[in-house]
This record gives sequence, structure tokens and C-alpha cells, in this order.
Amino acid sequence: MPGDPTAILLLNPRIPPETRLLLRERLGLDEPLHLQYFIFIKNFFMGEFGYSFHYGRPVTEIILSRKMFNTITLVGSSVVLAIVIALLMALIAARRRGSRSDAGLLVFSLATYSMPVFWLGMLLLLAFSVHLGLFPLGGTISATKVHESTLDYISDYLWHMTLPLIALVLIQIGYNFLIMRNTLIDISMEDYVTVAHAKGLPEKIVMRKYVLRNAMLPFVTIVALQLAGIFTGAVLTETIFSWDGLGLLLYEAVTTRDYPLLQGLFMLIASAFLVANYIADILYAILDPRVRYR
Amino acid sequence: MSGKSSRRSRVVRTSAIKETVADLKKTLEEYWVLFSGNMLGVTGLLMLGIFVIIAVAAPYLAPYGEWEMGVCKPFEPPSSIHLFGCDELGRDLFTLFLYGTRVSLIVGIVAALISTMIGGTIGIVAGYTGGKIDSLLMRITDTFLSIPAIVLMIILAALLGPSFINIIIVIAILTWPPIARIVRSQVLSVKEYPYIEAARAVGAGSLRIMSKHILPNVMPILFANMILQISNAIIAEAALSFLGLGDPHTTSWGMILHYAHVSGAIAAGYWWYVIPPGLGILFLVLSFVLIGYALDEIVNPRLRRA
Repeated sequence: MPGDPTAILLLNPRIPPETRLLLRERLGLDEPLHLQYFIFIKNFFMGEFGYSFHYGRPVTEIILSRKMFNTITLVGSSVVLAIVIALLMALIAARRRGSRSDAGLLVFSLATYSMPVFWLGMLLLLAFSVHLGLFPLGGTISATKVHESTLDYISDYLWHMTLPLIALVLIQIGYNFLIMRNTLIDISMEDYVTVAHAKGLPEKIVMRKYVLRNAMLPFVTIVALQLAGIFTGAVLTETIFSWDGLGLLLYEAVTTRDYPLLQGLFMLIASAFLVANYIADILYAILDPRVRYR
Repeated sequence: MSGKSSRRSRVVRTSAIKETVADLKKTLEEYWVLFSGNMLGVTGLLMLGIFVIIAVAAPYLAPYGEWEMGVCKPFEPPSSIHLFGCDELGRDLFTLFLYGTRVSLIVGIVAALISTMIGGTIGIVAGYTGGKIDSLLMRITDTFLSIPAIVLMIILAALLGPSFINIIIVIAILTWPPIARIVRSQVLSVKEYPYIEAARAVGAGSLRIMSKHILPNVMPILFANMILQISNAIIAEAALSFLGLGDPHTTSWGMILHYAHVSGAIAAGYWWYVIPPGLGILFLVLSFVLIGYALDEIVNPRLRRA
């Protein structure tokens, strides 16, 4: 049923064709395509995102809800964790370049980088949920459980979040590590680092004040640019773990051809990307005194 | 008289061709020496070789036909007869795995080839022409970059309908932007070389300069990135197939994982259904990544170690 959300009605012969025409009219799909587009633009500038075909509720209400909170919690914490872990790994690898631990970390990160996230998710489910029974098979919260306190609720939530979080962190680590390691090695070869060593400064100080400080700029860039890719991972991860977030919502919106909902989600993703890049630009100026905006 | 001169020109031409071939051979040999010194790159090439053999010889290696159902009990665990066990329709998973290699390889290579051609062309034109055309092309590139590719892929694949060709097209038209960016930045420096100015002074047109002088210079970078692009395309195909947007008339690793997911094999703990296709994707992608990075280290002078 490519394209038309009402085409599903054709499957049932008892539904008269008039019903479908009526539905098309109600959804605004009977207008010519270019007209539909102008209507969309007009509504967009009036802050009107329309009603979801599938849910029948306002798009903004569906998006700005628990689903958004769930996705931000999952994706946000995965980004932070992946940066911290990759940075620690990169520090070890860069300090002992060419050593066995460097090679091991490289192979590990190349392997996780080459892994499809949904397969990683399936493996985690197989190992930890099915065979060991340590974690739930999916969802964000135990539906049947009565939560006695807020703490109880939070721990249940975190328990559900563990596996999707591990999957998302693992696929980001590879790329982060490769870039961070190369940046650290590049900067360690600069003359001012050699001078710092020659002055007899302790390794820790050289690392923190000379190397890391200058490595911040490329790090910020990758994190900002990666955002679009992370959302991709979120769609697949949320599908596998049936995590009730925007990624799963987007997949459902595609399969039901819920155009208003898709448009709303697209707007959100594009603005998130713009905001991330804007923040990155501001961070450049804070991190690097050489960067000046007029 | 005319026969003589044409023979002479033919001799000149063949010797020119011979020279070019010899040059090419020499460059390739130089690259090969550098490449074969890179252990990771050689490992990748060996791994790729195995996969290519599997893909070509799949019908001969496979114990059953691609669509043969009921050759064993549904969800039968691995045994000496059915190496990878069976799926819910009683199909031999080992057979499906072998056939799956083909789709991943073909989709990956063809999609990457198309996307490299699009990205390369846009990068060269934008970098060489500059000005308004450059800004326009780069803004288009940025637009594509700012939307998560897979999201657009899901939508396009759903709208175009599931077919082998559509999957390739969808992946190709959404993965070119990074290549365009890389090529453009390279072209910006190449076009300042004196011989480009010389070519322009002799009266060569833009089209000729771009195809004869700039393209050969960005070719190595283009090639290295194409190899890396193949790995992205393979993962993208697997993701689309996994979401049920793949061609139901072909068997791919992503498709096997899709059926595993849909048939509830995970909750039942049928690990043999899930592990082999994923390992296939992992190692195929890894082989291209290893080759790509090895090539990148050769052609990218900044990364070359003295």
C-alpha cells in the first residue's frame, strides 16, 4: 500500500468505496499534491501541525509526551556514556601507541563499528533476557507491576533501560574512539607538547592542559555531527527493545503512512540537528580563544 | 603515403597506450607494496575473498534450494545435517546464509558505486566552479546531511515499495553527501595547482579540466571512500530489510534477522537463527572497513607514516 493511508480499506470488500472517499476528504488527501503542500506550509507557520491519521490526536500532543522523555533519557545518557568511555579508551591507546592494548582497543572498536545495532540488541536480549533472565524482554516499565514508591518506579525504569542503553553506547564507542585516538596522537606530536615534556612537566599535566584542551574542538564537532546518526540507532534500538519512544513512533508512522505525524517528527529532528550545531558553534568560542565571532 | 602515416600514428598510439599501461602498473605495484605492508588491510582483503567465493559458489555450496521449505522441523537446532539449524518454515538456515551473501555484496557494491559517482560529480563541480553553483550544491548537501539518512530511507523504501532495485536506489541517493564534502575540499586545493592554470591557458574547457585533470587527482581518495561507503551500504541494506522493507523475493542477512524477529525466535531463545547472519554482516562490513582504512592511509598523505 505505498503512499495512501486509506488504501488499507480496499482489503475489506464490505466497506463501500464512498467511505474511503469520505475518509480521504476528511484527511485532506483529496486535494492536489501541491495544494496539500501549501496548506502544510501555511499551517506550519501558524504553529498548527495537524492531527495524526492514526491516533486521531494532535501531533504536538503525541510527540511532546512521555515518548519524547523516554527517547531523550535513553539517547542522551548513551551519548554521554559513549563519550566518557571512548575518551578513557583513547587516552590509554594514545599513551601506548602501537602496544598490545592499543591494538586490542582498535580491533574492539572496529568490530563494534561494523555491527548492526539491531543485531547487537538481539544478541543482548538472547543472552541477558532469555538465557540468563536478568533483564526484561522489552518495554519501558513493567505494566502489571504496582510501584510502591518513586524510587521503585525509577529503578524499574532503569532496569528496562539497561540493555538498550548498552546497545546504543557500544555502537557509538567505536567511531568516537577512532576519532579521539587519532586526534590525541596528532596533538601529542605537536611541538608545544614536546616543549612541555622537555620542561619536565608531569605526564598528567601535559595530558590535561596541553593535549586534552586542544583536542576538545574536534570532539565537539563529532558529537554535534553524530546526532543525526544517533537518531538512526535510536529508531532501530527502540524497535528491537520496544522502547516507547520517538524512534518507535517514527517507524510506526511510516508503516501506517501517518503523514502529519511524520512531518512533525521531521521538524523535530531537523531542529534538534540545527540546535546541536548552534551549541557546538558557541562551544568552539568558549573552548578555543582563537575562535572569534563578530 | 596516407597508409604510412596512419601506420606510424598507430605505432605512436600503441606505444602511448603501452606507456600508460606501464605507468598504471607501476602505480598499482607501488600501492600494492604499501597495501601489503598493512596487516589489517591484507586481513580485510582475505576475508572479502572468502565472502566473494561464497557468493559466487552459493548454488553449489548450498545443500538445499533457496526456497526449499520443510526440509527439516521448524526451528530445529543446528546438527551435522543442518549446520545452522532451521527457520520457522523448515528452511535450512545454512542455505539461506550462503544466498544472503550475494544480496549484501551486490547491494553494497552497486549502491556505493552510484553514490560515489553522485558525490564525486557534485564535489568536483562544486569545488571547481565555486561561486553561486558551489553554494547551491553545498546547501543541498547540508540539507541531506542534516536529516538522518535512515529515516529518509525508511520513508522512501516504504513509498517506493519493496524491491531489490529500489533498495539500491534509496541507499545510493541518500549516502552521497559525505563523499561530496570530502571530494570538494580536495578539489579546492587541487585546482590551485599550476598545471590546471596551464591547461586553462592552453584553452581547455571546464568539462575537460574537470574530467582529465581534476578527476585523476581525486580518484585515489574517491576510491578509498567508496570502499568505506560499501560498508555503510551493507549496514543500511541490513537495517532496511530488518525493518521489513526489503525485497521479499530475495534472501538477505537482514531479511533472515527480520524473520527471526517477527517469528519470535529471540523470546524462544533460538540463538542459531540470530547469530550467523549477524556475524556475516559484521565480518563483511569489517573486511571493507579494514581495506578502506588501509587504502585511506596510503592515499591520504596526512595519515601516511614515514
